[in-house]
Amino acid sequence: MFIAIRDLRFAWGRFLLMAVVVALVAFLTTLLSGLASGLVKNNISGLEQLDFTHLAFEYGNKPSYRNSLIERDMWEGWRELQGVEELEPLGHSTFNARLLDNTSLDDVVLWGIEPGSFLEPDVLEGEQLGNVENGVIISELLVERGLKLGDTFKLDRALTELKVIGVVQELNIGHVPIVYTPIRKWQEATYGPPGYDGSEKLPDVLFDYATLIAMKLDSSVTDEAIAEMDMEMGTLTVDRPGAYIASTGYREEIMTVQMIQGFLLVISAVVIGAFFTVWTIQRTQEIGLVKALGASNGYLMRDALGQVVILMLVGAALGVAVALRLGVIFVEGGFPFAMEYSAAAAMAGLLIAAGLIGSALSVGLITRVDPIIALGAQK
Amino acid sequence: MSLEINDVSLLLGDGDQQVKALDHVSATVQPGELIAVAGPSGAGKSSLLAVCGGLRQPTSGTVSIGGTRISSMSPADLTRVRREKIGFVFQLSNLVPALTSLDQLLMLVHLQGRRPNKADREHARALLDEVGMSHRADRRPNQLSGGERQRVGIARALMTSPEIMLVDEPTSMLDHNRGHAIVELLAARCRDHGVATLMVTHDRGMLDAASRVFNILDGKLSEAV
Repeated sequence: MFIAIRDLRFAWGRFLLMAVVVALVAFLTTLLSGLASGLVKNNISGLEQLDFTHLAFEYGNKPSYRNSLIERDMWEGWRELQGVEELEPLGHSTFNARLLDNTSLDDVVLWGIEPGSFLEPDVLEGEQLGNVENGVIISELLVERGLKLGDTFKLDRALTELKVIGVVQELNIGHVPIVYTPIRKWQEATYGPPGYDGSEKLPDVLFDYATLIAMKLDSSVTDEAIAEMDMEMGTLTVDRPGAYIASTGYREEIMTVQMIQGFLLVISAVVIGAFFTVWTIQRTQEIGLVKALGASNGYLMRDALGQVVILMLVGAALGVAVALRLGVIFVEGGFPFAMEYSAAAAMAGLLIAAGLIGSALSVGLITRVDPIIALGAQK
Repeated sequence: MSLEINDVSLLLGDGDQQVKALDHVSATVQPGELIAVAGPSGAGKSSLLAVCGGLRQPTSGTVSIGGTRISSMSPADLTRVRREKIGFVFQLSNLVPALTSLDQLLMLVHLQGRRPNKADREHARALLDEVGMSHRADRRPNQLSGGERQRVGIARALMTSPEIMLVDEPTSMLDHNRGHAIVELLAARCRDHGVATLMVTHDRGMLDAASRVFNILDGKLSEAV
């Protein structure tokens, strides 16, 4: 690193410019993936908050929150399995919600849950489900849409008025805010006749249905055991990642994030590769000279790689730091930005790796310089 | 420790383009001796240095440094020989642009895989002093004149206490007086350090400091009388 360090100091202007370019790429990578993963997290925040290990959907090609239908026999059947710590049916359906004056609140997802069960999130303000007739708990996103604690609103299909008794953090699924209601109310709203206002008694059979089964299984439950239960019960059980992917748009958003990161890594590799290729070609005479003086290829390649690593480290650290700082400002401003330090560090590591791959060509050029060019007239 | 060139021929190119760059060349350079080889460009001067410095393998014949035959070594071994046994003085400005005069010398210690210690630093400073460059030890090549760069180059060539020194047109970019001073300095240094030195030049005005003078033409070497 003797020559490499002195090169950095001697040609500091060129290396500084390059470090700025690396910093910009690192900045963009971090910021865009932070924003994108913020978006992704926003999609499934309702599932992330939920303390489950597996979701069982109705058997089908793939799990679907919209089309799944689970009967009481199925969840009671699952309850028999050894290793089930907790298990509750969950109702999921999308409604258009309106205030009583017909102001639209846009789409909401109504989740029917057993009050007091592990599916019920803790409220930030107000009270939990159970004590207030027609009371619901709402995602904070709905507060931004104009719904407050104590307000009443209705769903477009049912006439029952729902009263906001609690507000939880922003919990969404497929970016749609969740309204938590006791599962009986959900069954009425979903399976009751259109315009049902709660005044007449509905057939008991309606209350034997839900959308899926949320479960906490302990680690003793094998995949084989789950598959066997699925066969028996006619269900399709997925783990947490599977549950996320089943959420509308999640897979596409993840792919977008990965594509952005992939492109930026490729760009970074190309830019660094181009810079070091030009740099190496410019130094051909010097490399020939040092080789004539007895430097091995290995020595010169270590030197060159050391330069790449220093440049990438400085650039990436700068870019990531600025992006994270800006990310904090974004979060304070309410933008969905999510970036863990470990993820940012991993990103920076990938960038450095991309730089090393990109500069592999220029390092290869070093081996091809013939020391004989040190002799004879100067170019 | 001497440089022995024994019946060396070097063919360059192939087919119709083949040129005999060196044609059955033999010569011996003794320690402390400065041999000058003079000839016009294209006569084979650079080829002679390339073969002696292990930068080209001769087509036939042998080159030995201190009795060790280098003309059949692998490229990696030749790199080590250049690092340890040969001091090069190149044409003007063949210094590493980013390094100060002192670092040009210390770099050779790094190339040997060591960190320069106090003794190395003192040795380097003493050599710079010998060539009259101790006051320019912390200057980079772009802050030095042509003659000063050549002096640093000579000090660098002596840094590893080599067995032989190969000098390529040391005066090509200097005026007569400065050129002369450099050749005088070279002759004195190689005498003091007991290094067998082979210098090539096209400048016949630079030969009087040499122990012996050879002429080279069309790859053939002949001692001048």
